[in-house]
Amino acid sequence: MRYKIAGIVIVAVALVVIVGRVAIRADEFTDEDLKRWEAEYMSVVETGRQLWGSGDLGTNGVACGQCHPNAADTHPETYPKFQQQLGRVVTLGEMFNWCLMNPLEGEPLALDDPRMVALLAYATYERRGVPLAPGSH
Amino acid sequence: MKKHILGVFTVLAVLFVMGVPAGQAPGSSPPLGLPPVPVPENNPQTPEKVALGDKLFHDMRFSSTGEVSCATCHAAEKAFTDSPLRTSEGIDKLTGTRNAPTVLNSAYMTTMFWDGRSPDLEDQSQHPFVNPVEMGLEDHQPILDIVRSDAEYAEAFRDIFGKTGEKITMTEVMMAIAAFERTLIAGDSRFDRYNFAGEEDALTAQEKRGFDLFVNRGRCVSCHLIEETQAVFTDNRFHNIGIGINSIQEEVPAIAGEFLRADATLAEVDVKVLTNPKTSELGRFVVTRDFDGIGSFKTPTLRNIALTGPYMHDGSLATLREVVIHYNNGGVTEKGDPVNDFLSSGIRPLNLDDEEIDDLVAYLESLTSPEFAHLAEDAGSGN
Amino acid sequence: MSSQTRRDFLKTAGAIAAASCLPITTVELAFADTRKNFTFAHISDAHIQQIKGTEFVRNWDRGLIRAVAEANLLEPKPDFVVFGGDLAQLGKKSELDHGAEMLSKLNYKTHCVLGEHDYYLDLGEYWSKLFGDHYYSWDHKGVHFVVLNSILTYDDWTYERWPSAEQRMLEMAGLDNPNGSPFMVGSKQREWLAKDLKKVKKDTPVIVFSHSPIQKIYKGWNFWTEDAEEVQALLKPFDDVTVIYGHVHQIQYNQIGNISFNAVMATAWPWPYPESYAHADVNWPKMTVPMNRANPFFERDATGWQRIDLAGGRADLRYNLFDNTNRTVAYNHDTGRPEDKAFQKKADRVPPQTRY
Repeated sequence: MRYKIAGIVIVAVALVVIVGRVAIRADEFTDEDLKRWEAEYMSVVETGRQLWGSGDLGTNGVACGQCHPNAADTHPETYPKFQQQLGRVVTLGEMFNWCLMNPLEGEPLALDDPRMVALLAYATYERRGVPLAPGSH
Repeated sequence: MKKHILGVFTVLAVLFVMGVPAGQAPGSSPPLGLPPVPVPENNPQTPEKVALGDKLFHDMRFSSTGEVSCATCHAAEKAFTDSPLRTSEGIDKLTGTRNAPTVLNSAYMTTMFWDGRSPDLEDQSQHPFVNPVEMGLEDHQPILDIVRSDAEYAEAFRDIFGKTGEKITMTEVMMAIAAFERTLIAGDSRFDRYNFAGEEDALTAQEKRGFDLFVNRGRCVSCHLIEETQAVFTDNRFHNIGIGINSIQEEVPAIAGEFLRADATLAEVDVKVLTNPKTSELGRFVVTRDFDGIGSFKTPTLRNIALTGPYMHDGSLATLREVVIHYNNGGVTEKGDPVNDFLSSGIRPLNLDDEEIDDLVAYLESLTSPEFAHLAEDAGSGN
Repeated sequence: MSSQTRRDFLKTAGAIAAASCLPITTVELAFADTRKNFTFAHISDAHIQQIKGTEFVRNWDRGLIRAVAEANLLEPKPDFVVFGGDLAQLGKKSELDHGAEMLSKLNYKTHCVLGEHDYYLDLGEYWSKLFGDHYYSWDHKGVHFVVLNSILTYDDWTYERWPSAEQRMLEMAGLDNPNGSPFMVGSKQREWLAKDLKKVKKDTPVIVFSHSPIQKIYKGWNFWTEDAEEVQALLKPFDDVTVIYGHVHQIQYNQIGNISFNAVMATAWPWPYPESYAHADVNWPKMTVPMNRANPFFERDATGWQRIDLAGGRADLRYNLFDNTNRTVAYNHDTGRPEDKAFQKKADRVPPQTRY
C-alpha cells in the first residue's frame, strides 16, 4: 500500500516536471504564463469587439458600435456612479444592460454571462490608460 | 447634564429664530423620502405667516361671486385637489381646460402650472384671482380692499410684514399664501419606508414587482425621479406624452404658426390657455415658443397619486390603470393610434402584460402618505 | 417672493424664443449685405434602418419625422431644404423609399446630398432615381450653391476588394471598421468644380454642401476627406465660402483661411467626439464648443436639425436640438470665424459640455 502511494506521488511529480512549464510554487508564474494569460484575455476582448458591432444583442438590429464607435463615450473609468437613468449608483455592466433593454430593445444579460464579460473586457480595453474617476459625469 | 440641556435649548432657539419650516416642529427634518423644502431667502417661514396664508387660501370673498377660494379647487379633504372633477369649476361653475394639480409637495417644483408659465409659488397665487373662469375678478383691487380694511387681516399684515393701509400690496398676500403652501408636504409612504428606511415588509410582493417595473422596463424613473436618498417623483421638466395633442395633430401647424407670428410679450397667455382648449393643448410651447414645448406638460409628482385623479393636464384619464396603459401603448390612449410627431423621445411602447400593468398600479398606490390614507379607501383609483 | 415677476419671466422667455424664431437680423454684422439675407433648413443623417420587411428601427424613424414636422412649422418659411446624406443605413431600396416618403412631407423644395450609407450598395443608382444628380450646383438670391459627393473612395476598394455589393456596404457602414477606406471628392469632381466655379464672381458667396468634412479631422472614424487640401484650394479665391457637412453627427465648426466649416447634426443618433476615444490622433478644430452630453433615455437627445440664415454672405446655423437647449453658431465678422453665440467663452459653459 505504501509503495502504491509513493508510486503515485512519484508519477505525479514526474508528470508535473515533464509537463513542466507550470511552476510548482503557487506564488511564481513565468513569462510564458503571462503571455498565455494575455492571449486568453485578448481573445475575450476580440469576442467583445465582435459583439459590440454585431447588432444581434437586441431585437432591432442596432449595434452598440453605432452610437459608441471603439466603445467611445461609455466611460468605464467613471463607474460605479450615480446613473441618472436608473436613479441609483450602478456598475458599468448594469448600464450596459440598460442599453440592451432600451435603445437595443432587447433583454438584459446576467452580469457574469460570457457575452457581458466580453463586452466589458472590450470597452475597458479600448479605454486603457485613462485614470479612474469614479462617480464622475 | 445641565450644560447639555442648555446647549440643546440654545440650538433649538437658534433654529426657531432662523425660521425653519413652520409646518413641523422647529429643528425637525422633512418627512421620510423627501429633501428639505426650498425656502426663498426673502420669504422665510414663520408660524404667523403660515396661518395668514392659510386664511387667505380659504377666503371666498376674493372672487366675483363670493363663492370661490383657492381651497375650492385645492381642498384639503381631497388631498388639495378637486377630485373627481376632470377640469376645475370656478365662479358660476365655469370650467376651464386644465385639471387642478395637488398643492401637496408643490414646494419642490421649480415652475408652477402645467405649462410652467409661473416661476414660483408666490407668483402663481395671484393669477387664479383674475382669471375669468376661476375667481373672475377684474383685478386684485377687491382683495386689497379687504385685507387693508378687515381688522384681523390688518393686524396680521402689520405684525408679520410691518405694513398697514395702502402699504399692503399683493406682494405680501402672495408671500403669505406661498408660505402656507410650503408647509403642505407629505412623504413617509409605505414605499418610502421600504426604500429609505429598509423596512422589507412595508411593500407587498406585488408592489415590489411594480417598483422594479417602475425603475426598469416601465422606464418611469427617468422623469418621475427616485434617487438614492430621496424621491420627489418629478424632474421639473416638460414632456409631450401624447395627451390632448393627438386630437389636434392636423391643426398644430396653424395654431403654432399663429403663436410664432404673435407678439413676444403675450400678456394674455394665462387667459388663453384656460379658455381656449386648442391653445391649451400646445402646452409649454405657448410659454417658450420652442418646438420642444409643443404638447409638453410638466411632470407632476406621483406622491399621493391614488387620491388625485382624474389624471393628466386635461383630466382625460380616469384611473391609474388607464394611465399605465397609455404609456404602455407608447403615448396613445387607444392602442394602435398614430403617435403625434412631437412626442417626447422618452416615450415608447413598453410591452407590459396585464399582470405587469396591475403590479405597476399597485406600486403607485403605495405612494400615499399616512395622513391621507383614509382618503384612499373613499377615492378608489379604480383598477 | 422671487425677484422676478411673472411678467418679466414671460417676457424673457418670450423674447428669447421670439428672437430665436426670427431671422438673425438682430445680430450685429459689420459687413452685412441685407440683400443676401434668407433662410433655408438642413436635415441630415436619418439612417433609416430596416429590421425586416416593413419594420424599420423606430428610433431613427421618429428622428426624421420630428425634424420634418418642425421644419414645416418654421416662421418665416425657409426658401428650401437640404438633406445632408445618409438617408438610408445600408443603402437598400426599402430604406431609401421609406426615407423619401418621410421627406416628401416637407412643404419645400429639397436638395439632396449623397452619404456613404446611401452609396455603397449600388453606387447611388437607385438614389439618383429618387433624388437626381450626385453632384450639381445652383444659384439663389445671389449665392452660389454647390453639392459634392465627397464620400467616394479609391477605385480598387470600391470595385475590386469585396466579393459582393452587400459586403462592400457593410464594410463601409461600420464607423470604426479598420476595413473601411478614406473618403474623397476625387479628380473628376474636382475638375467639374473648377469649371463650375470659373463662372462665379469672387465676391459671390459660395456655399458647398458635402457629406464628409472636406477637412482631415480624424481618420479612424472617416471624419476625413483625402483630397481636402485640393478642394480647399479651389475655394480659396472666393471672399465668402462656407462648407456645410454632415456625417459626424455632432456640432463642429472651423475656419481655414477664408473658408468656414460647419457640421450639422444627425436626426438619428449622436456620435462621440474623437477626443473621447483615448487612443485617437485627432486634428481637432479647437474653436468648437462641444454639444451637451446626451441622456440616452431621451432618444432624440443630441440629435436635431438646422435652420441656416444667410446673413451678409455667411452662414449662421441655428441648431434645433430636440429635448435640449438650442445652440446657434454664427459667423462673427469681427473675428472672421464661426462662434457659438452663448458658449464660446469658457467661463460661459455649462456642466453638460464638459466631456472626457
